[in-house]
Amino acid sequence: MKKKTFNIAELICAVISLAVFFGIWHLGTRGELGKLMPGPLPVIEKFLQTLFGGKIGSSTLIVHVAYSLARVMIGYFIGAAVGIVLGLSMGWSPLIEAIFAPLFRIIRPIPPIAWIPISIIWIGLGEDAKIFLIFLASFCYVTQNAWSGAKNVNPEYMNAARMLGAGKSRILFTVVLPASIPPIFAGLQVALSSCWATVLAAEMVRSSEGLGWIIIAGMNNNDMNQIMTGILAIGLVGMMLSTIFRKVEARLCRWNRSEN
Amino acid sequence: MSVEQKRKLIECCNVSKTFQVPGGENQVVKDFNFVCQENEFICLFGPGQCGKTTLINLIAGFEMPTEGTITVNGRQVTEPGPERGVVFQNITLFPWLTTMGNVEYGMKTAKIPKKERRERAQKYIDLVGLQGFEQSFPIQLSGGMKQRVGIARAYSIEPKVLLMDEPFGALDAQTRYLMQEELQRIWQAEKRTVIFVTNNIEEAIYLADRILVLSNCPATIKKEYQIDLPRPRKYTSPEFLSLRKEITSIVDKTL
Repeated sequence: MKKKTFNIAELICAVISLAVFFGIWHLGTRGELGKLMPGPLPVIEKFLQTLFGGKIGSSTLIVHVAYSLARVMIGYFIGAAVGIVLGLSMGWSPLIEAIFAPLFRIIRPIPPIAWIPISIIWIGLGEDAKIFLIFLASFCYVTQNAWSGAKNVNPEYMNAARMLGAGKSRILFTVVLPASIPPIFAGLQVALSSCWATVLAAEMVRSSEGLGWIIIAGMNNNDMNQIMTGILAIGLVGMMLSTIFRKVEARLCRWNRSEN
Repeated sequence: MSVEQKRKLIECCNVSKTFQVPGGENQVVKDFNFVCQENEFICLFGPGQCGKTTLINLIAGFEMPTEGTITVNGRQVTEPGPERGVVFQNITLFPWLTTMGNVEYGMKTAKIPKKERRERAQKYIDLVGLQGFEQSFPIQLSGGMKQRVGIARAYSIEPKVLLMDEPFGALDAQTRYLMQEELQRIWQAEKRTVIFVTNNIEEAIYLADRILVLSNCPATIKKEYQIDLPRPRKYTSPEFLSLRKEITSIVDKTL
């Protein structure tokens, strides 16, 4: 009962804060500023009109979103899979750690967008180059967290498992892996934002579709309305991604919820 | 009078343990000798940092003795194993497993078929009084309930020996009394050999068949008491109180 009233209060606050934001935007762009910046109504209108119907460049808005999302998802999941396996192995085996840690320590601080020129020279202008960049963005964060997660598993859990008869491989899969899930998820979350930022950068450099292309093409055509439509879409998609992410995390880490 | 044949289950022979510490060595256990019969409830009682936990870790196989040997059920201890169930001071349930999952873990490791595993887990969950909480995660349980799961988990692998390292140390006084009664009930329902570490004299007298009073670090046996009071014992009976007074006076001198 109490929880429900809280949700209603939250909803009212959300509506008011959005209304005030759009109100200020609307009023602010009525005067001189309106020449530089469209108001919210034309942007929302363009957003809705191009979402499924009208085209920006070669495609509708939803197709541009799909391009960006597909690139992110492919690179993100490959990077996450490789990162989890490598990170857990590094935390588990001192030998694997000794081999990969120095290399990883050098690669990790390099922001993914610094690889854009190299990726274009090496891989070309196609999808592969963008996916490679997103892979790097995802891989670095996930590896780092899986590694430190596996390394910092409470040794008492290992003792408990050994006492119950578990051997090395059973401890890896039933103790080290589940104990590392919360830090891995923290890494996956940062990785997702980083991938979303990276795909936009990659599309701004070289692309003919995607949300990054929409805003850079808008700049080239001096079309503020198109830029703002792209930014609105970027915000909405990012919000959706993190909402879905939190739902998945809440499900997989429900044993951990009051610690996080 | 019980006429059952008692047999030696645990034997510690001249056990010493020294840890390397920065700038030297720290001897924690020195010339520790004792023999424990099957189904005996032994309390190791001693002051704060006297090496009691190290003794449990040695018998459990988490640590190796620097000198001497430990034999459990005729075999020398070289590593942890399911014939020695441990109930940990910090409880140490797997937080990602439910009550049922924690109790089943050892049996799953031993590849016991699902049906038998479920039944046996349920039996021990019922024994420790946690029916209805099978699907709860540790985070949803109180401290006392968590330690009940810890006891059920240690029992579930049907070990020869239960090693309990101050299992009630983190509980509040009220829960602690309750858990002492519960442990006594559980132990009488399912007899096992128990080595129970405590720094609480009442707890030791309430639970033990035999109390080994340890000296301060390095730990050696200062004195032994056979406790023959009938169970369940009363904390306020004159025999209880006089034992308590006697053992307390011994310990005070060693401090």
